[in-house]
Amino acid sequence: MGYADYLNGFEKLVTGYVPERSSWGPPEHALYGPPDPYRVPTEEANDLCFKAIKFQFDRHFHNNRMYHDFCLESNVCPEDITSFQDLCKVPLIPNEFFKDCPSGKDFALWLANVYTGELPQIQIKGANPTTDEVIKAFNDAGMAVFFSSGTGGRHTFMPRDMRSFQMNEYAMAKGVVAMFYPHWNQNMHGYLLLPNPFKTNLFAGRLGTIFVDIMKEVEMAIDREIDTELIKLSMSDGKGLKGRMVNYISKKRHQKIINDIISWIEKNQREGNEMAFVGAPFLLYATIKKLKKEGRSFDIGERGAVLTGGGWKIQEHQRIPESEFRNDVESVLGIRPEHCLDLYGMVEGNVWLTQCPEGHYLHIPNCYVHPMVLDDSYQSLGYGKVGRFAFLDGSMYSYPGFIITNDRVSMLERCPVCGRPGPVLEPGVTRVPGKESRGCAEEVRKMISVDMKR
Amino acid sequence: MANLWEIKANGYMPQRAYLKLMVNGGMSLSKVILLNLRELRRLRVIPSDGERYSRPSRQYEIPTFQEGMRSCRSTEKYLRPTLFCDHHDPLVIAIANELGAFKVSDREFAEAAYHFVKERMLLEERTINDVGETLVRGTGTCFHLITAFIALCRCAGIKARYKIFAMNMIRSWYDVVIQPDPFIKKWYDSLGYFVLEGEGEVLVDGEWLVANVGPEAEWQAATGTTITKLGEDSIGNWFNAVPGTMMRMESLPYGLKASLDLLHTIAPGSMERVNISMAAQKERGRRIIIEAGGLEAYDRLARARQGPRMPKLKLESMKQITFDG
Repeated sequence: MGYADYLNGFEKLVTGYVPERSSWGPPEHALYGPPDPYRVPTEEANDLCFKAIKFQFDRHFHNNRMYHDFCLESNVCPEDITSFQDLCKVPLIPNEFFKDCPSGKDFALWLANVYTGELPQIQIKGANPTTDEVIKAFNDAGMAVFFSSGTGGRHTFMPRDMRSFQMNEYAMAKGVVAMFYPHWNQNMHGYLLLPNPFKTNLFAGRLGTIFVDIMKEVEMAIDREIDTELIKLSMSDGKGLKGRMVNYISKKRHQKIINDIISWIEKNQREGNEMAFVGAPFLLYATIKKLKKEGRSFDIGERGAVLTGGGWKIQEHQRIPESEFRNDVESVLGIRPEHCLDLYGMVEGNVWLTQCPEGHYLHIPNCYVHPMVLDDSYQSLGYGKVGRFAFLDGSMYSYPGFIITNDRVSMLERCPVCGRPGPVLEPGVTRVPGKESRGCAEEVRKMISVDMKR
Repeated sequence: MANLWEIKANGYMPQRAYLKLMVNGGMSLSKVILLNLRELRRLRVIPSDGERYSRPSRQYEIPTFQEGMRSCRSTEKYLRPTLFCDHHDPLVIAIANELGAFKVSDREFAEAAYHFVKERMLLEERTINDVGETLVRGTGTCFHLITAFIALCRCAGIKARYKIFAMNMIRSWYDVVIQPDPFIKKWYDSLGYFVLEGEGEVLVDGEWLVANVGPEAEWQAATGTTITKLGEDSIGNWFNAVPGTMMRMESLPYGLKASLDLLHTIAPGSMERVNISMAAQKERGRRIIIEAGGLEAYDRLARARQGPRMPKLKLESMKQITFDG
């Protein structure tokens, strides 16, 4: 099958995520336009990216008071951004900013003041609303407010509108489908190694929404309501009575999930179905470990795909080496390493980097994202140096998506293995020393309290 | 002597939060004294063979007051003389005029006064006195230095006030200010915070700018903090204010002098040890600045260590958000 037909199959399933073409502006052209976000010729990518970021920068400058003042303090205004080379002048917001939010009614005002543009009417009940009540009120009004959490228990809150969230979902899925070409098809049976996307506002969970649309009969590892309080308890390492109870229940649940995954594989193997595992790698790792212990293996072969994301921690101080994980997936499940890819993204942006099957380098969709690596003085380092990852997200309508992360990366101008144009990150993204560990997988891991030694 | 009306209007009477802090601080101090009488007796004085504090010489020449030098004579709030802060003192007028009072813009003068006090006056633990005396000596606690800054600004017709709070401090400050003396350490540790700390605030172009004139650059280098500028706060930098203790005052209140006098009477040795430690740290800070390649280079490094700049978010109510209850 040619790529155009392959993509057409995908596009038919995600029409609900794509606005009418006649309404597209520069951000939509950059995100929805290219057939493969990782194969856009550099010059064309730079042009699309510049127009999208310039559009968003103007918008946030004029419609977001917080960012407007921040830009004036930094002596930058829209007139200063006239070419692709000027993008490095765009003032960047440290991701820590989105953790520093108040509680109660002030939390609602915080979300509203961070947001760029016209909010819908939002009614919040109660004299002292909880964080979850505020989020619910926003989302009931048509917003898409999600949170993520670090090991320190401090949540990150991002006030997206549905348009930005749908762009996020589409960008992630399209990047994955493009990288898996020609392997993905809509008849794949999916297993989400994540919470049920319809029962949580946890970003790691909500990400799975689009996978329900592009795969068949999707199962979920965690099928229960998950709110900020439960996450806080899960991340508290069992401190306090409630925390200990949550950890105890989670530990019990863990074994059941592993058994469910094995039963699911057996069933689909019997029926000859194609299978896709999507989500936190440690759950699949635990499944493989159990199968290995029992001396069992499967030969899923060409019918299988693994998409991981969110970090590689399996215990408090142990990470899974990615290559070892892929070898295990091949030897126990029979899924080839080139069908086992990792995804890198974060709650703060619509930025999704997918590994290429050839070299497992993380490819940057530079048609709508301008990536940077910063030194300790927050100056751009250029290619080939290790530093802090930062990006300008040209697709983000809801808040200024010009973010400095706490992730330590090395960026190359081109992938040294595959022929795709555009920059890549070397595999093995880590945290900047001193910054708390986090990631979708870490949240899920804590939630089901997996200590593989037990 | 101020009359009752002046006492009330000028804010000489301590605010409720201030009284609460004094009571808590006093009780905690009494407890520390009672439980550590023997140690306190030992620490009261520096042994004859121990290192003694010697005050550094003044870092500036005192200008001569001349008749006709201008000074603000307003009786408006934040422009009039208050306790220990009489800007009609000829020395204050002479220095203010030398710094450009009435000749430069308010911002330029505030900057000049800030740099004068922060860079040329030195931190030293001692009892409270009038601002003229402080300027002659060239040293003082943060309250002396804030008072000098406020007096200079008021003299130039720029409104200025005190911002006082209880605080706890970052580790590098604790190691230098609290740790060297066991008595001070016990008192701080028993309370969990330092009873009183202050900053100045000056009204420039309709905005109150914070002025932390206490720590000199060398001191800031020794404690690993940035070289702060006018408008940059110590809170969130090397101090954290204890919630509910923030007070804005036109004047230092009654009782502050007495409490500092008492502390110096009870534990003069402890105060001297803090001064010795501060002097040693400033020397260390001087070396750190030289090693970094100068003041600007050090400041760049310290700011980079602090992390990137954050936007400021003012919470404003919005018509789209309604609260039931």
